Amino acid sequence: MDVSSNGSSSIKPQTNPFVNSKLMSSLRASLQKGAIPVSSSNEGSPRPNIFSTLWRPNISNTDDFIPLYSDCIAKACSRTQEYLLFKDPEDKFHPSPEVLTQIFLMTYIGQSLNLNMTDNFNCTVMTPEQRILLGADWVWAVLEKPTKNPRIQIVVQVLHMPDREGIAEDYPPEGRTESLQMAQKESSNKTVCERMVDFCASIGKDCYALFLFLGRKNDTGKIYGVLSNNFQAAVGKCDKIDRDLIENFFKGSRYLHTPTGMLQTITTKKDEEPLTVLIKFN
Amino acid sequence: MDLYGKMAATQDAKGKGEGGDQNFDYMFKLLIIGNSSVGKTSFLFRYADDAFTSAFVSTVGIDFKVKTVYKNDKRIKLQIWDTAGQERYRTITTAYYRGAMGFILMYDITNEESFGAVQDWATQIKTYSWDNAQVVLAGNKCDMEEERVVSVDSGRLLAEQLGFEFFETSAKDNVNVKQTFERLVDLICDKMSESLDTDPAVTTGGPTAKLSDSAPPLQQQGCNC
Ligand SMILES: Nc1nc2c(ncn2[C@@H]2O[C@H](COP(=O)(O)OP(=O)(O)OP(=O)(O)O)[C@@H](O)[C@H]2O)c(=O)[nH]1
Ligand SMILES: [Mg+2]
Repeated sequence: MDVSSNGSSSIKPQTNPFVNSKLMSSLRASLQKGAIPVSSSNEGSPRPNIFSTLWRPNISNTDDFIPLYSDCIAKACSRTQEYLLFKDPEDKFHPSPEVLTQIFLMTYIGQSLNLNMTDNFNCTVMTPEQRILLGADWVWAVLEKPTKNPRIQIVVQVLHMPDREGIAEDYPPEGRTESLQMAQKESSNKTVCERMVDFCASIGKDCYALFLFLGRKNDTGKIYGVLSNNFQAAVGKCDKIDRDLIENFFKGSRYLHTPTGMLQTITTKKDEEPLTVLIKFN
Repeated sequence: MDLYGKMAATQDAKGKGEGGDQNFDYMFKLLIIGNSSVGKTSFLFRYADDAFTSAFVSTVGIDFKVKTVYKNDKRIKLQIWDTAGQERYRTITTAYYRGAMGFILMYDITNEESFGAVQDWATQIKTYSWDNAQVVLAGNKCDMEEERVVSVDSGRLLAEQLGFEFFETSAKDNVNVKQTFERLVDLICDKMSESLDTDPAVTTGGPTAKLSDSAPPLQQQGCNC
């Protein structure tokens, strides 16, 4: 079985390089489109006139969560980075991918509660079964004002350094194991990356897949990501969507968004447009 | 959407596959459907873990839990799929209808809109699932008598019209939760033995192919459940 809850497909050999390079160039095209500098993303919108500002004092601030989000991310990254960079003189600590994901997420959630930001932007952590079925670790959502229904979603899967993937996960409590095995079995024909891409595609263009890398080759403390609502373009064009393919996005890339820039870009983007951006989280 | 279709199609009903607890005689796939916030997740949480929380965390996509029940010395494994009620997940949730043998269609007795949507959900079942799938209609949150806007009678009447069984339930106060699942399991057992008696072909071929995996043991022993 080539599936684990944390994307062990990274150990797979590279897929056909020719197919991949073609694919990469077509994906890059959409990548560049999305890689507009943050400052330009609001240029097209007219300045609100004085009356609309007076009449709707709160509504003009619907993007207030963006700096708060940025703050939560900064906290989560710096905490996680401490563990990623920890030099153990006795080589006794080997935090599993699961633990690192939890550190990131717990710090993020703790801070988002501190800042009381869950009204227009929330974070839903997946159950262990959902993590296998949907390939997602958690989902961020920009919420519609009155209904609190998601308007835009970012479905996140964490990818760890290949050498960490081998570290055994804690055994899930008895009883849970069974349903997890069942979930594995039901989804074994796809990589965990592909499952998330399929899931996002089933929702539509307002649902983005974000592959979040905790650590990078030659830069263990780096946290970065690729976000796209168009990964499904790769389905059928290459053997499989896996870590290698996702990492390829960074080769020769020109522009890295900040977390703030990422949110600004996707909240101001026109509907239905494909978009791919690279993000530097710390 | 092939992926989700495949997931929905049950593997060996006799549990010969790798992984999982293999000690069961039958496996039934059940789905809980209905509008967002009617209490589907809470209902399953109450049944599987005997717990309730008043916080609302709207389900993302789909989730499931496993529970084993015993019926006349037979172990029946229930794979219970908890679907998200929000419209945006419709593509993924309906992909799971295919392999389901039973549905709990839920509305909220304090929410008229959720009751009004029952007909649409019933149509979804007809469109995406197996013809012989059994359905129980559940009017949830019956603990909230003061906010009730859907009468017991209109619930019962609608169930009759649709040919479904009917319960009013409360995940919060644990009213009729177990009974709803037990009734659904009974209905499925009845249907299976009935199909085998009258027309063995019913359980073979097409989208029901997976159900036929459970046919041999039933044929030998009859459905004495
Ligand atoms: N009073 C009362 N509240 C309930 C009952 N069942 C669920 N709730 C509450 O109703 C809200 C929604 O419940 P959920 O179970 O999350 O609803 P859901 O149908 O799963 O919603 P989606 O996942 O969005 O489709 C929560 O706040 C629950 O605590 C019940 O029987 N009585
Ligand atoms: Mg739910």
